[in-house]
Amino acid sequence: MNAASGSGSNVGSGQNGATGPGGALARGRAAAASAELEISRAWLVDPATGREGPGELVVRDGVLRAVTWLRGAEAAGVGPDGVIVVPGFTDLHAHLREPGDEAAETIASGLAAAAHGGFTTVCAMADTTPAADEPGVLIRVRALAAASGSPVRVLGVGALTAGRAGERLAALGELADAGAAAFSDDPAPVRSASILRSALAYAGMLGVPVVEHAVDPGLSHGAEANDGLVATVLGLRGSPAAAEEAAVGRDLAILADVVRDVPGVRLHLAHLSTAGSIALVRRAKAAGLPVTCDVTPHHLALTDGWLAGSRRWAWDGSDNPWADGPLAAAPYASSLRVEPPLRSAADAAACLVGLLDGTVDAVATDHAPVARPDREVEFGMSVPGIAGIETALGLLLAAVDAGRLPLARAIAALTSGPARVLGPRPASTAPGLIVGARADLVVIDRSAGWTVGPTTIRSLGAPSPLVGRDLPGLVLLTIADGRLAWEASGA
Amino acid sequence: MSGRQIMSADELRRATVRISHEIVEKQAGTNGLLLVGIQRRGVPLAHRIAAAIAEHESAQIPVGALDITFYRDDLSLVAQQPVVKGTSLPFDINGKTVVLVDDVLYTGRTIRAALDALMDFGRPSVVRLAVLVDRGHRELPIRADHVGKNVPTSREESVRVHLVEVDGEDSVEIERMADLAGGAPAA
Amino acid sequence: MTAGQPPGPPAVPEEQGVGVSVAVPSVDAAPHSQPVAWRHRHLLDVDVLSADETELVMRTTDAMREVLGRPIAKVPALRGTNVTILFYEASTRTRVSFEVAAKNLSADVVNIATATSSVVKGESFLDTLRTIEALGAGMLVLRHAHSGAPYLAAEHFGGSVLNGGDGWHAHPTQAILDLYTMRRRLPGGTVAGRKVVILGDALHSRVARSNIWSLTAAGADLWVCGPATLVRGLEAWAGSGVGPASRRFTVTSDVNAALRDADVVMALRLQQERMSGGLLPSLREYSARFGLTRERLALARPGALVMHPGPINEGVEIAPDVAEGIQSVITEQVANGVAVRMALLYLLAGVRGPR
Repeated sequence: MNAASGSGSNVGSGQNGATGPGGALARGRAAAASAELEISRAWLVDPATGREGPGELVVRDGVLRAVTWLRGAEAAGVGPDGVIVVPGFTDLHAHLREPGDEAAETIASGLAAAAHGGFTTVCAMADTTPAADEPGVLIRVRALAAASGSPVRVLGVGALTAGRAGERLAALGELADAGAAAFSDDPAPVRSASILRSALAYAGMLGVPVVEHAVDPGLSHGAEANDGLVATVLGLRGSPAAAEEAAVGRDLAILADVVRDVPGVRLHLAHLSTAGSIALVRRAKAAGLPVTCDVTPHHLALTDGWLAGSRRWAWDGSDNPWADGPLAAAPYASSLRVEPPLRSAADAAACLVGLLDGTVDAVATDHAPVARPDREVEFGMSVPGIAGIETALGLLLAAVDAGRLPLARAIAALTSGPARVLGPRPASTAPGLIVGARADLVVIDRSAGWTVGPTTIRSLGAPSPLVGRDLPGLVLLTIADGRLAWEASGA
Repeated sequence: MSGRQIMSADELRRATVRISHEIVEKQAGTNGLLLVGIQRRGVPLAHRIAAAIAEHESAQIPVGALDITFYRDDLSLVAQQPVVKGTSLPFDINGKTVVLVDDVLYTGRTIRAALDALMDFGRPSVVRLAVLVDRGHRELPIRADHVGKNVPTSREESVRVHLVEVDGEDSVEIERMADLAGGAPAA
Repeated sequence: MTAGQPPGPPAVPEEQGVGVSVAVPSVDAAPHSQPVAWRHRHLLDVDVLSADETELVMRTTDAMREVLGRPIAKVPALRGTNVTILFYEASTRTRVSFEVAAKNLSADVVNIATATSSVVKGESFLDTLRTIEALGAGMLVLRHAHSGAPYLAAEHFGGSVLNGGDGWHAHPTQAILDLYTMRRRLPGGTVAGRKVVILGDALHSRVARSNIWSLTAAGADLWVCGPATLVRGLEAWAGSGVGPASRRFTVTSDVNAALRDADVVMALRLQQERMSGGLLPSLREYSARFGLTRERLALARPGALVMHPGPINEGVEIAPDVAEGIQSVITEQVANGVAVRMALLYLLAGVRGPR
């Protein structure tokens, strides 16, 4: 597949385009300064307006100059199975590991990975070493991002409590002044209900959302996997769904308490993973609470059956991975150690339903690279985390291909959804195909796929559990802030 | 069976009876005599010899079975562990005359293993060897005391002993290795 | 037998025979059938064993028992093979059983216990494996506190890995010796249709898990009985039919229902840490409600077998007069353990990896 081009290596020719299967023609050049691009006869998805269909667009000097929606005969033969163009993705939740764990990821490698995954905005979580509990770390992360040369925008998430220790509030006001997009102690939950109550009120005053990793530390203590059939058979310590749901319930009760006095409060529950959690949020939203939530691609597509060796997508599997006979892969792959743990197929299905009905606002990757020495260990000894920023789109498109998720909903969950969670503060413009704005978009070949592997992945850490797997949808180009962030090799 | 027959059922029977006479003659009686068959075709042969002795000497000679699998010198070379068929020596071998019985004597390695195995059970005063067929090509300094039939062979040939107890018929055949699917000499 | 045979079928056609004990004259059964080939390079759990393979292990164990009965209970089958016994958990009994088994086969045995290895210095598991392999180990017997660790070892170790117990997950040699002991002692020599009760802390027991696989596969009427906190989650397994659909078992906290008409009762060791973990009120209460006493054993069939994987907390999960009583086969389990481990070491040694 050689469908589109932005040719940094072939400056000046401007003529190395090719025709894709949908008849799309992408032609242009994308110099370091600003992208030049013409795309004709592609499938455009614009979550800002809710519109999708055949169209064309032109980028000049990094600015989206024209968007033309095609009709009638012009549109014939152009479908969502060819080249599609969508706004750049926003990841609400990425652990870029720098400073502190540069063997797992650096800002530069993380942003390269993000661009490969189609992301143009990344929220960098606060669990660095030192933690981002005062403006210095946020400023340093921004400087590292600038030095990397990547046009992908980094939004710093500030810690909620000092040292993420959960005992006293971090420098929330100063962090807000320094541009913190959110406050979070993730991957730690806020143990003290009292501290969470204060933090929500104070952050609400500042107009900054609080992102909470909802888990009851007592119920999840020492856990290695989802408490269920798989953990029982494999002899792994289980974390019950109740560990997450008890915390979600607590957090929502505190939110209801705070919102009476601080109407600006916003709580975002990160990477929910159980059917019960989704149900609790659904009810809270119906009651008008200012709560948002996200799910990860791996909790949508993978199940705890993978720990036993299953390699079926969640929507293809059952809660008994042995139901169809012996399993393909060896069990206990450390690459599947993640928190919250991979859940049952029923939980994954409930997360998908939540995404479809709007209970779930966004898909966030919880990109958490793990350095090889921390991963090539016994399952229970592994540092948890899945580096998912490059495979998020592919997993969602797998669900689209399986008929489980409309394409427009998948794209909205990566664009307008996260923007709504973050609120108006950090974003200059809402994601969309907005003429006159700096181009911020992704060109994807839906007729092609790619194989996850060491040569195709830009993230630094230990291999993803998806290594060797073919994923649908090849990101041909990622343009962030009018500049080329990613270009598929050979394009 | 595709091979050329070198012993018929009758010849096999006569050879067994002759060996039984030789054993008694050499021992000058049956006192202190034990027969130990090497798994697996040596075991029924030992029982036949014992039956023949019982017939002409009216003496019951104890018979044991020796599995030499654990003593083979090629365990580290074979692709898969041979199935163990079991050892049964329900008597004390110390100070006795033990006649090892096997079907084919070839390289001598099986007998070497059998001697090692036997010595782990005690100290016989004498060990002798009786075989139905000696086909030559010794790789160790071992010879048989009692031989049913000497058969000149080449290394490319295989000698197959068939016994009713194991194979449903009595005969000895010789065949080219090329005719065998992954087979190897039985001894 | 010559070197350089193509791998795969045995170099000499071998027929099926019976392994015989010292007392029984050799009788070769089923002369024309071919034995099942052992194809496993590692044994990490019993879930991978087919019925034929289990039979092969049983027959090979018979042969090893015969070896153990010899004046010199030692054969040269594994001469020149380095068997490294790496135990990340303290366990004298199992470690010694493996060591005796390996030495009976004339293997060179290297013992590494956590206290004496550089594990305590922070050397990673994989570093340790690489070192052991570089030092010439051809077989690794591994005991590890983390469930699944043997699978990691099998992935990286060039030789054979024999699981000596991992976390709560599996203890295949124990399950096989349990099955072997039951088959020797039960009338008819089979556990099929027999009521077997695993009594106690099954949730945290690798012995229970491996026995669930092997006993359901063997067709036993398997019951798992213990306090609700110590059998939690097993109900889902019992009813789900993991593996072939027929492999179901019964989970209950009703000790009387479990023991009634049982043919075998296997009590599990109760760890002190279950009390500190808040799973049980006290040892005394556990013993009163779930301990295997003479009165409770009377519910089982007359002559029912009493088993225990050891080490025993006498007076807690099992009363001393039951553990040492006429129905107890606990010491026979220990003796059979050596034979089973010899059989498995022997069989695994015949399968070499791609390296």
